[in-house]
Amino acid sequence: MAGIILPTSFIMPGRLKKPTPLKNPERPYIALGLEGSANKLGAGVIKHSEDGTATVLSNVRHTYITPPGEGFQPRDTALHHREWALKVINDSLAKANCEVSRCSCRLIGPGMGAPLQSVALVARTLSLLYNKPLVGVNHCVGHIEMGREITGASNPVVLYVSGGNTQVIAYSRQCYRIFGETLDIAVGNCLDRFARVINLSNDPSPGYNIELEAKRGKRLVSLPYATKGMDISLSGILTSVEAYTIDKRFRSDGQPRDENDTDIITPADLCFSLQETVFAMLVEITERAMAHIGSKEVLIVGGVGCNERLQEMMGIMAQERNGQVFATDERFCIDNGIMIAQAGLLAFRMGQTTPLAKTSCTQRFRTDQVHVAWRA
Amino acid sequence: MASTSDWHTVTVEVPFVSPKHASIAKQVIDVDKELQPQAVKRELTVDGNKLVAKFDTLTVRLARLTVNAFLENVDLVVRTLENFGEDAENPPVTAA
Repeated sequence: MAGIILPTSFIMPGRLKKPTPLKNPERPYIALGLEGSANKLGAGVIKHSEDGTATVLSNVRHTYITPPGEGFQPRDTALHHREWALKVINDSLAKANCEVSRCSCRLIGPGMGAPLQSVALVARTLSLLYNKPLVGVNHCVGHIEMGREITGASNPVVLYVSGGNTQVIAYSRQCYRIFGETLDIAVGNCLDRFARVINLSNDPSPGYNIELEAKRGKRLVSLPYATKGMDISLSGILTSVEAYTIDKRFRSDGQPRDENDTDIITPADLCFSLQETVFAMLVEITERAMAHIGSKEVLIVGGVGCNERLQEMMGIMAQERNGQVFATDERFCIDNGIMIAQAGLLAFRMGQTTPLAKTSCTQRFRTDQVHVAWRA
Repeated sequence: MASTSDWHTVTVEVPFVSPKHASIAKQVIDVDKELQPQAVKRELTVDGNKLVAKFDTLTVRLARLTVNAFLENVDLVVRTLENFGEDAENPPVTAA
């Protein structure tokens, strides 16, 4: 998929235009991105050419899938990553048809401690072995940069929704600023945990199965609506929707007991109600952020971002504001190596590299701690 | 260190194919600090083509956990070196 670089005139109508500090590279750069912050292990190779375009050469991912009703534990996930790391990297390089020796830099992305650390070990070894620079990448910035690259959105309000994060973000003065976020659990976590309660499969992902189930839902049950200013709270909603599964009207098989049994609640109804409620909250805080910064673009990134119902609801809101929604499909929405490569290569072209001694991982690395040198 | 005289000491020696690989392994593993520095002391050195790891721990349990984690890391690094070591030292001539 060829990337698009937009002319600078597209950036924020009515504002002072600044030239982008990012120069076209004097030679093609190739980067290998390694991602392992949660249950997905990804490796991707990206190329930036002299004319400023970016090309995705490969994007390989392997997901650690747990049995229904179970989440993924850091220790087991780390074990999975250790087992699969070399295979995934080799696959990715083979698909990109290039040797490691040609890559300019390789990168790691910060999340869950143990899985991340094992991927970092491999990244460091490769860096020393081939004598190539290493660039540490913030996971969230990776999502945003990949979303911008793929969709061509120039200065969108970003809704970052995944299993570990829920944030509304907007760019200002070389920093991605967090406008609103969840006060407790992430929206993906909320959906996944409910999928476990009603025993949906984790394959390909619990969120996807919730989405399928929700399409069959007919009844909207009442759930708390918890936006708090620019922030949202989700744990109470999870508790409330869980409470419906012990309600006497709840039918776990979704079938009425007889023809008089009409006042029932099915798992599909609950998935539907949960999605409608939490997505409405997300759309509300996103709309408020758009109004605040005067942007007409919304970019949805992160694993929950491939939910079509969320995209549809966001689209209705954006249409009412004469705006536009940008979203990507599961290849780039869900955690992947290519986004780490993209964000890392941008940082590398601005002269940022991470010395080996600083390449330890941290579970606390907020989006707004990153200096976004490559944007005006 | 007098205070560590009654600590448990474990020394592990891991041979590598070359001093270079041993040194890479040392640098790679050295980056991540021990999570309990007050209870576990780790010292990594390279002796020829061997990586020598010396652990001082407060309890036997910690010795087991620390050495276990260390060996898991060594295993991953060794497999990476095995996989890419050849390619890195003799890059294919086709590479531009």
